[in-house]
Amino acid sequence: MTRLALAALCAASAARAGVSVPPEARGNPLFDQANAAYLSGDTSRAVAGYEALLEEGLVSPELETNLGAAYLRQGKRGLAGLHLERALFLDPSDDDARANLLEVRRGNVDKLEGETEDAGTEVLSRVLAPLPGRPAAVALVALWTLGWGLLAANSLRPRASVGTSAAACFILAGAAALVTAGSAAAHRLTLRRAVVVAQAAPAREGPSDRAASHFEVHEGTALRIEDEDHGFRRVKLANGLTGWVPAAAVEPVVPAGWSNQHRL
Amino acid sequence: MSRRIGSALAALLVASAAPAAEEVQVSARADADEVALDGTLNLQIKATVSSKGDQADLTLPDLKDFDVVSRSQSEQVAFTFLNGSPTFRRTTVTTVKLAPRREGQLAIESARVTYKGRTYTTQPIAIRALPPGQAPAPKARAQAAPPPPLPDPFTEDVTLDPFQDAHPQSRDLVLRASVDRERPFVGQQITYSLYLLARVNVSGIDKLQLPRLDGFWSEEIEAPQQLVGEARIIDGVPYRAFLLRKRALFPLRAGKVEVEPAEVEVMTGFGMLFSRSSTRRASQPVTLDVQPLPEARKPAGFDAGNVGSWTLTASVDPVAVAVGQPVTFKLVAQGRGNVRNLALPKLGQIPGLRAYDATSNDKESVDQGQVTGTRTVEQLLVPERTGAMEIPSLSMDVFDPAQKGYRAVRTDPIRLEVHAAPANASVGSQVPAQNLLAAGGLRPIRLRMTRASVEAPPWTRGWFWPLLAVGPVAVALVAGAGRLRRLLARDPAEERVKKARSAARARLRGAEALLEEQRRGNGSASDFHAEVARALTGYLADKQGIEAAGLTREELGRALLDRGHPPGTVRAVLGVLDECDRARFAPGGADLPSQEARLERAGRLLGELEKVRRGA
Repeated sequence: MTRLALAALCAASAARAGVSVPPEARGNPLFDQANAAYLSGDTSRAVAGYEALLEEGLVSPELETNLGAAYLRQGKRGLAGLHLERALFLDPSDDDARANLLEVRRGNVDKLEGETEDAGTEVLSRVLAPLPGRPAAVALVALWTLGWGLLAANSLRPRASVGTSAAACFILAGAAALVTAGSAAAHRLTLRRAVVVAQAAPAREGPSDRAASHFEVHEGTALRIEDEDHGFRRVKLANGLTGWVPAAAVEPVVPAGWSNQHRL
Repeated sequence: MSRRIGSALAALLVASAAPAAEEVQVSARADADEVALDGTLNLQIKATVSSKGDQADLTLPDLKDFDVVSRSQSEQVAFTFLNGSPTFRRTTVTTVKLAPRREGQLAIESARVTYKGRTYTTQPIAIRALPPGQAPAPKARAQAAPPPPLPDPFTEDVTLDPFQDAHPQSRDLVLRASVDRERPFVGQQITYSLYLLARVNVSGIDKLQLPRLDGFWSEEIEAPQQLVGEARIIDGVPYRAFLLRKRALFPLRAGKVEVEPAEVEVMTGFGMLFSRSSTRRASQPVTLDVQPLPEARKPAGFDAGNVGSWTLTASVDPVAVAVGQPVTFKLVAQGRGNVRNLALPKLGQIPGLRAYDATSNDKESVDQGQVTGTRTVEQLLVPERTGAMEIPSLSMDVFDPAQKGYRAVRTDPIRLEVHAAPANASVGSQVPAQNLLAAGGLRPIRLRMTRASVEAPPWTRGWFWPLLAVGPVAVALVAGAGRLRRLLARDPAEERVKKARSAARARLRGAEALLEEQRRGNGSASDFHAEVARALTGYLADKQGIEAAGLTREELGRALLDRGHPPGTVRAVLGVLDECDRARFAPGGADLPSQEARLERAGRLLGELEKVRRGA
């Protein structure tokens, strides 16, 4: 019912502005209507449409990219950064999401100085993210098992061709293992990655409102979640600044539902 | 008896002859347009000429409907410097008190003033004469009042009469300061007026010292160059009120603010030549209670300087241009208020438009006692891309004291058409006429959606690591199975070799049993020696691979020597075998002790033969 109402609202908004989605691009009706609302300048309705699709459990890099763009147009840099990061998590090759994310960061309030401590981690995460970790893991299992099979065959009935094939399998399995390890490292880093969605949040020395605060973080700033306790999250910025912020002020790039989710 | 009440005056400005219009001003006015038959009214005829010595000649109108009760005349000369040269203004005021002769609609005909051969006339004045004892209607008085003040933009505010609480207490000279509202908002205009109330003839003023106006931004509204008085009745006492200064004040902060007294030196007497004395007067201080701007519905980021009644317009010239050619964006804020404090919205970055620094120009003026202003912001924009562009709507929040509320004023979006420039358009121009497609900006949204899988990575699954172990484990199992198979499939000859010693020992134990039976008298020595010989030959066959049965003693000896056995051992083996053969085939040839000794030697020889086997 909510979905229908939202679709009707988005359609009305788009109709007023005379904007429509090309027929060849039609797919999910609510997605189309939200796109039309966005193109007509009604970003509020576009956001409502996109969010409704997310609530339905839909996972799509394009949905996250569009939602990030809509939030950015509304000036909500934190939520824009969060959804664009999610789009890149789902599809690291999404150039549009990456470009929009740069726009978000260009307007960020927080400018980090002395980016030495974790700058390498950030770069490593960016470099490793596009690695094909899943296929590499599957290839690792296949080549590794095949190599051992050939080795067994060679020990039973030694033949030069079988031995060479076994060696080739082990070398390829080693390469696949490197890619898998890189991807796993990137995955681990991404799971801890988060974005500040509150306009401003004091970073405190401990997980308490009474703990001293030495700095504030502002919306759109990316950071890492190190720990969680009593409604606070211990976060670390790229330059090593660390503090406890209210849990609601930061959102992890990979939501809890995704890590447990299998096929959608 | 009906008397005129109030101080409303009917004034009609005289049309004067054109050539001397700037030099002569003539006017006539009555202080009422209705009068009871038993009452009087005052007709005042004022002639002002720009001359030090020449005097205008006044001819009273034909007053056939009135009786002249009294007549008086006053004259004052004002001396001012105008454009660096002295200017004299001689004003002659003739006051005639009239009593109507009859009821009904009456007319005061035009008066005539002759000056330098020219004649100037006033306009007729209509007077309605009422029956005796009837008071003139207030309406009639109001109609006869001076032109009402022009509409105040802040109509909801009560504009104070500058003399409403003035009580000169019959003093001859009073300097009166007043403001038109006592509880303005921060940034709202108030008008500060300074009047001189006089019952004596004032020939001039000097050393006017206005108060310091700390906490205000002020603007001059009116600074009369000559003293022009108007009649006021205050507490029943007629006064001449001279406006000395009128300034617009804009409070800069909220709270109680006191405007200090002003001071002036007043010269009294008739004309310059007959000035008698000068008197110093100070005004009363004026206290204002400046209200802060209301917090209710205050827009976020509101600039406190945006107070007043403002409009905002934007324009672009031209609206169609070749790429690389500049256009001028103009943003104009216009209205009432303090334009100097106005904060205009800024044009943000527009993709495809290069914006240069904006220039700002403020103009102020006074319109009907209100300070108005215009701020014009001009900005040069150079399109860098072809196509239609839109300069977005700009919005500014203002606090309008008239509405006592906030409102947003905004411009309309402007469409700019940019077309490609001719090929040689960039020659000599500062900006290249190219369609510059710079990176950046928000990317267009995606119109198609694909569903993504967010499966957990394989290495986090439970099956991943066991599956990796499958290969090595399988190979290990295969190897183990082969080994087991080899263990299970043993060679009988090998088995015999391994069991040769234990088999020989078993036979020796059998021989010992036969020896025991002999001791009991049941056994046979032949069987005993056969068993001992089988123990040795069996061992040699199993372990050493020597079939002793088919060999002579010499061949057996060589075979043992060839396998590395010591000659002593070989001789002993051969000896035991010979003894066994003799004992088997020669009955009674062996006693028990010799058999025991032979059994012992056979056992020792097995040990010696085993050593050589192990050593080999």
